[in-house]
This record gives sequence, structure tokens and C-alpha cells, in this order.
Amino acid sequence: MILGDLLGNTVQDADGGWLGRVADVRFALDGTAHQLMAEPRLLGLVISPHSAASFLGYERNGLTRPWLLARMLRWRHRGAFLVLWEDIAVVGAGSVRLRPGYTRYSTALQDAAEA
Amino acid sequence: MTAQPGPLRPAPKVAGRILDAQLHLLDRQVLDHDGVPVTTVDDLELAGPAVDDAIEPGTPAPVLSALLTGPVLGTRVFGGRPPSSRLIRIPWKDVAEVGVVVRLGVSGESLDAGWVERWVRDKIIARIPGGRHDPR
Repeated sequence: MILGDLLGNTVQDADGGWLGRVADVRFALDGTAHQLMAEPRLLGLVISPHSAASFLGYERNGLTRPWLLARMLRWRHRGAFLVLWEDIAVVGAGSVRLRPGYTRYSTALQDAAEA
Repeated sequence: MTAQPGPLRPAPKVAGRILDAQLHLLDRQVLDHDGVPVTTVDDLELAGPAVDDAIEPGTPAPVLSALLTGPVLGTRVFGGRPPSSRLIRIPWKDVAEVGVVVRLGVSGESLDAGWVERWVRDKIIARIPGGRHDPR
């Protein structure tokens, strides 16, 4: 699978309801250890109801400067949420369907959440 | 559907570092182990379930197997992407560090990603008088 085919795809819940688009894909470096870096495992998808992509990631970190840009981009990506791989039922060509009872998590990066 | 009013709960903690594809990987410059620019990350390849296959509960998550680069200028402007066979792969096992740039643990001379630059150097620049040594 090529990641570019996944980014921007529409995301639906189990009933076919429209949730948003795949704005980003989150990986965790906890896969098989190689000599240099561990293998990145797909942790989940960042889904945005109002935008097809993410820009600069203000909605995922604690940065607030420049103030106007941060406000504008946070507003643009409002409502974005993370769903984990376990909650994904099908990754199709052009769309992603989630499992019934999926859980929405905050998109905040761990470093930002701890700050 | 699980509509959850109010602030969302934080994602479960994981042991390893978190990388978001668009934020930390895509479009980053790739340097080899000597700091020489090799290419940029145009796309990523995942090894996992095929597209359109139902994902059974408990299926292991896909893993990032390679950085992809290639002739993507036209498709960036007009949409789509080149066929998978036209993309050049840099295996993830060659990646040494992800920061402002992506650093490889191998020499760029051995990678297919830099063949155009090597070809221009060897076939064109080398034939220009003075083109075989450093400028003085």
C-alpha cells in the first residue's frame, strides 16, 4: 500500500455516515528493531472533518505563535480526531470504513500532551 | 457511531517515538551518512493488508517499509501518482535518524535515488574542461 493513496480518503463510520478525510497517518517506532531504527508501525489515522489534509500541525502540538496563524489553523482543523488501527474495518480505494463503536482520541502528540 | 461530547481522551501511550507522516516525514530532505543530499521523501510504502480487503480484528498493523521518491512533479501539480514501479525505494532499515531532515546510515552513492545526479556528473559535467576536480 502506498501512503499517498490513503491520505485525503473519505472516512465513514460503520453505518456509512461521513466523518471526514484522512488528514495524516500516525506511526509508532516500536516495530521490529533494525540496526539503525525500529520499524514504524501504523498506530492510527488522523481524521479531519473540515479539511482534506493537515498543515503545520498546530492542532497537534502546544504551539501558539504566531498567534493569528495558530488560531486560523486550529480553527481550520477543528474537530480532528485520531482513530487507532484496531478500529479500522476496511481501507478501500478512496475511502476508509471504521468498526462499530470506534473510539475518537485526541490528535495531540505525546510531547505536546505532556507539556 | 461513538459520538463523544467534550474534549477527546488522549491516545494510549506507546513505548516508541511517534511520527506523523505529513508532519515528520513527507517532503523532508534525505541526507546520506556523509551529509550529502540524496533526495526528498515523496511518498511512503506500507507493508500490510491489501486495499479493499476487510481487516479482521487482531490483524497486525501495517509497517512502514520504505521511503519513496521519483518523478512526482507532474502528479503533484495535476493529481494522481506515478505507477508504483516508477517509484524508487529507500528501505526503512537504511534510515538512521528522523529530524529536520531524514538521515541515512548508508552512502548515497549506492542508492538508485541519486542516479540522475550521478549520471549528470559522470556523463556531462566530467566532460567540461575542469569538471573533474574541485573548483579552486
